[in-house]
Amino acid sequence: MAMLKDNQNSALLADGAPIAPPRPGRAREAGPRLAVEDLKRAEDRRRVMVNRNGGGRRSWMLLWLLIGPGILVMLGENDGPSMISYAQTGATYGIGFFLPFIALTFVMAFIVQEMTVRLGAATKLGHAELIYTRFGRFWGFFAMADLVFGNLLTLVTEFIAVRAGLGFFGVPPALAVLGAFLIVVAVVLTRRYWTWERITMGFAVFNLIFIPVAIMVHPVSSQVVHAFFTWRPLPGGFTSQFVLLIMADIGATVTPWMLFFQQSAVVDKGLTTADIRQGRIDTALGALLASVAAIATVLAVTPLFTHHVAASSFQGAEFAQALVPFVGKVGATLFAIGIFEAGLVAAITISSSSAYAFGEVMGKPHSLNNSLREGWPFYAVLVAAAGIAATLVLIPNAPLVFIVLIVNVIATLAMPPAIVFLLLLVNDRQIMGEHANTRLANFFGVGVTVLLVLAGLVFGITTVFPSLFPT
Amino acid sequence: MTQVMYAPEIRQPRLSPSAPVEGWVHEVLEPDQLSTAKQRFGRARLTRGTVVLLWGLRVYVLLMTYLIGVQIWNALHT
Repeated sequence: MAMLKDNQNSALLADGAPIAPPRPGRAREAGPRLAVEDLKRAEDRRRVMVNRNGGGRRSWMLLWLLIGPGILVMLGENDGPSMISYAQTGATYGIGFFLPFIALTFVMAFIVQEMTVRLGAATKLGHAELIYTRFGRFWGFFAMADLVFGNLLTLVTEFIAVRAGLGFFGVPPALAVLGAFLIVVAVVLTRRYWTWERITMGFAVFNLIFIPVAIMVHPVSSQVVHAFFTWRPLPGGFTSQFVLLIMADIGATVTPWMLFFQQSAVVDKGLTTADIRQGRIDTALGALLASVAAIATVLAVTPLFTHHVAASSFQGAEFAQALVPFVGKVGATLFAIGIFEAGLVAAITISSSSAYAFGEVMGKPHSLNNSLREGWPFYAVLVAAAGIAATLVLIPNAPLVFIVLIVNVIATLAMPPAIVFLLLLVNDRQIMGEHANTRLANFFGVGVTVLLVLAGLVFGITTVFPSLFPT
Repeated sequence: MTQVMYAPEIRQPRLSPSAPVEGWVHEVLEPDQLSTAKQRFGRARLTRGTVVLLWGLRVYVLLMTYLIGVQIWNALHT
């Protein structure tokens, strides 16, 4: 009997387990026809079902099978520009206010992202598809176009980070960018959501590489504990520049691609309402890991603060170079690898979110389980998004600095519509049923939303009209 | 040989109506998880407050586009 592969008749699953024969006397059930993505998703779900009803080791295996979207979205948000931003924060402010502040931003991110898990599990539709279905074509197309455009600019910054990280090792920019692009394409061409997810998670784990670098600088633990309890010290005090930085950081806590990506990944993975608990654990675990990596990055560069190194304009490789006297070549190497990883994982997840949104709104197959023949529009958008961004980075005299600056503005200004729709959808009992927001969930959800929207607006407007904000 | 039925875009010949693969998949996946049978919810019934909110978002989008355009213009001319 043949193995289950794309476009082949078969009678076995890919792992060799036989398909159950039809029950005697049971008539064939008429129903929707099956696509290759359905068969592959069913294989994954079969393993979930096998492990669902057992205790002990099976419950750990169940969690292992169901985690993924939350970890990827949170560690993907620790992208190249974010890690560089954390490094600049650590070099400018040292151990103090920003350690608990960073942890708080990830708590806010969890509150928002958890809603996408419930939305995807309850409706089995991606975020763009749901906006299109419930609010009409204008908002559906706007959501897709806005996301794809913003993602394209963000992808440019990710390939810049890849170039910077590998530049520490003397890798030529073209080779670095091309290599990262080929990795993005190769992971996608597995045509298997499970495989794509596990490979990307394998890369994402390297976001924690900043932890050993932080240990190497021997931070004073009492200072770290003091900072978490007192949110101090804050060198320079509450200046207007500091307030603007806070607004920017809050506004950038959650970016639009995170909402779209996690909900689409939850659907593609096949999570149901029975899996919401594990989906929450997945998201919380991702937030925890990402906040630990972010805080470690701040700690790792504190020698630059202590020694008054002017690092506010440093980029990835420059931080690694500047850290050599304090953490040695090994520590600096780990730091540079972390910057490369941050850009690579974000490139994989962000390009996927563009492809998901495009497929959902245009009514095309949109799954990483699709064959190339079935899902070629989806794969084409994904590869094109990454390819265009990679190309832009390599064009001589391309306005890359401008793109880096404007990406934050676009991300924060584009957030209000995305997050307002999230709240409207997750409170819609017609589609969510019993999984709609409770009053407590709305208290936190609306509160975080208002904070994110206002902070993002303040940052965006003052960036465009700096004279409005006195310094 | 096991009989299998695929969606037409895979372009496999439809074989015998007895389809153990199809039955097994239907047992494992919920009906609205099938790619060809997604649940269609239809347009949301909007309250007056929601309509006002969506029109406010339309205004916001226009303003946002203007702000970004200003930012791009300023950057190109500095």
